[in-house]
Amino acid sequence: MNDLRHLIHPRKFLVPAAVAALALAGCSSSPSSDSSTGADGKTEFTLTYSKSNNIESPFETLAKRYMTTNPNVTIKLEGKPNDSYGDSVRTQLQAGNAADVIETEAGSGQSRSILPLAEAKFLEPLSDTVTKTIPSGSESLFQLNGTTYGEPLGISYAGLVYNTVAAQAAGLTAAPKSLDEVTAACGKAAAAKKSLFVLAGSTVPNAGITSLIISATRVYADDPDWNTKRTSGQTTFAGTKGWQDTLQTIVDLNKAGCFQKGSEGAGFDAITNNMAKGTSVSFFGPLGSASELQKAAPEQKFVAEAFPPATAGGKAFGVASATYSLSINAASKKKDAAKAFVDWLADPAQADLFAKASGGLPVSGLDQQDLSTTIYAGVADLLKKGDYTPLPNSGWKSAGVYDALGTGVQGLLTGQSSVDKVLKAMDAAWDQ
Amino acid sequence: MKTAVQPPPVEPADRPRRRIDGERRKVHTIGRWWWALPGALLVIAMHYGATAVGGSFAFTNWSGIGSFEWIGLGNFERIFDDPTKLTALRNTLLLAFGSVILSNLAGVVLAIGLNRVLKTRYLLRTLFFMPVVLSPLATSYIWKFIFQLDGPLNSILSGVGLDGLARPWLADPIWALWAVLLVVVWQNTGFAMVIYMSGLASVPVEIEEAAAIEGASLWQRTWHVVLPCLRPAIAIATTLGLVNGLRIFDQILALTGGGPANATATLATEVYKQAFSLGNFGYGAALAVILTVIILTFAVIQQRVVQGRPEV
Repeated sequence: MNDLRHLIHPRKFLVPAAVAALALAGCSSSPSSDSSTGADGKTEFTLTYSKSNNIESPFETLAKRYMTTNPNVTIKLEGKPNDSYGDSVRTQLQAGNAADVIETEAGSGQSRSILPLAEAKFLEPLSDTVTKTIPSGSESLFQLNGTTYGEPLGISYAGLVYNTVAAQAAGLTAAPKSLDEVTAACGKAAAAKKSLFVLAGSTVPNAGITSLIISATRVYADDPDWNTKRTSGQTTFAGTKGWQDTLQTIVDLNKAGCFQKGSEGAGFDAITNNMAKGTSVSFFGPLGSASELQKAAPEQKFVAEAFPPATAGGKAFGVASATYSLSINAASKKKDAAKAFVDWLADPAQADLFAKASGGLPVSGLDQQDLSTTIYAGVADLLKKGDYTPLPNSGWKSAGVYDALGTGVQGLLTGQSSVDKVLKAMDAAWDQ
Repeated sequence: MKTAVQPPPVEPADRPRRRIDGERRKVHTIGRWWWALPGALLVIAMHYGATAVGGSFAFTNWSGIGSFEWIGLGNFERIFDDPTKLTALRNTLLLAFGSVILSNLAGVVLAIGLNRVLKTRYLLRTLFFMPVVLSPLATSYIWKFIFQLDGPLNSILSGVGLDGLARPWLADPIWALWAVLLVVVWQNTGFAMVIYMSGLASVPVEIEEAAAIEGASLWQRTWHVVLPCLRPAIAIATTLGLVNGLRIFDQILALTGGGPANATATLATEVYKQAFSLGNFGYGAALAVILTVIILTFAVIQQRVVQGRPEV
């Protein structure tokens, strides 16, 4: 009993408790205040973005241009591997040590998407100047409860990135415009010891976007509101013929030898190497990556093409949306500097800076652009007429659905899975 | 020869004894239990507290960001209803037990082989131990290159006329798991070898020689003399190997990322994927709790099995 009293005597606890409290108080930070500009008048902040290769990213180009215009500003660049970018950013945001300015993506279907990060209060509201840059009809992808959390950087077209030099070497005079022509082109390319497509089948992002690009003609051309119907439970992946056709097309392309050998185990390096060397003619992806490849392989020529519809009379349809965006970390201590950078980008004078740097398209006025002499000539009609859908997964419920699609496509390539199983797995991921 | 008889120790007088006791008590009272408090609190808070808090998320639907709700055993029900998670559990056990058995067998053979006779044993020991000190992530990327479709392994197979066997090993749903197991065994064997060598050093040479003189064969000497002496080494090597095997992560992430189509996913890679890639932190925490329980269970069972035999 005496021992117990000794243990619980309040004075015995007071001293260590007070010491601990003082120590903790010493460790805690002072109330957050903006420290954008140092005592020497110089400003420094960090910008993080995803990268798939060592070629200069458009974000690096943007940062360099801003630093040239503003000599007192230093932007520290933090490029992160594309396949783990979302995880890294989420972890850093949670830990409170994320960069001041963050590359995000429109909507909610990715781990780097704006809406879930904004809901969790990790992103800083952006100015009206930025809000004005959001393309009409895409507000829901950049705003939460009427507040803007992401700055669209340009319209990114996702389709076939087509190497015309490699195509000519394979005896292909024009990009295939029907599925039959695709099959024939696969044979010609194989005869020339090339592949028509290079696929990074072991990576969810590439296996996923391949399916999404094919789904544009098979699902979204006829039913642009398919995502809304799936959200309200009116339809399912497994119950949609367009989705069945989409995945069956991948199975058929694989059987026809359209992908490079070992595509099921290939990573992004396969795309970079094959496209730069010309051993593959094209790949499914955002055309922004073509400008990076062009820098690495100036002897090749990369242009945009659309993947043909399922039937000869089917509607040509593409994928284009203001996918890439920039957001500001709500926990940043350099918010003023970060906001100045983001507002500078929103200024009409800089509006198409990212688009030019990335080989993408400007955020607005796409229907008035003359693309017939650009690398977008092959899809100029689609873009002019508005025959495209935003990247479908930007409106999906969670990153798990896209993961189920990407993983499922790899299973289709290895024969581990079936079309029906993959679609059911996507539905299960959506309903969780 | 006389033996000096020592007088019995004289009991100290009452007063000096009391003084000594008093001094001892004084010394004792200088040290207080709460001196250890900062250290104890740090250990409890940073180790056990953090683990307990992390484990409690297994009963929530937390996405890793924002708020969450308590959902009871919902995450655990989902895990046992999901065939991909059961595959991950099967892979975890296969890799753990496979790597323990193979690396310990190879380790004990190497340890016996390199114990005494060979002149080059010091060089060979270093070479066999080298993989242990190398980064699992770095060596896995080298192995990934070796296993690639146009990598050295397939080139060798083609070179000897076995083109039919060439394949993308890490994307093959059947072979990918065995390729991962090979890399793990390659990396762990050196560690087991070193433990067994230290165990062999404690085997008395006299007993071995006595057994040989009595006519015991090499096999009998190994089975009845060497292996019983190695029991503590076996306990350490298998326990550490099993624990490491159950939580294997680096090699899989670098070699296959859990693919193709989850064929090489383990509980550890699923924890990472669910918690950090897909934003299902609560679900990932539930997987982590299951993994922890499995590791604890097998570690305890193994300790009992290997060390539990009483001395006769």
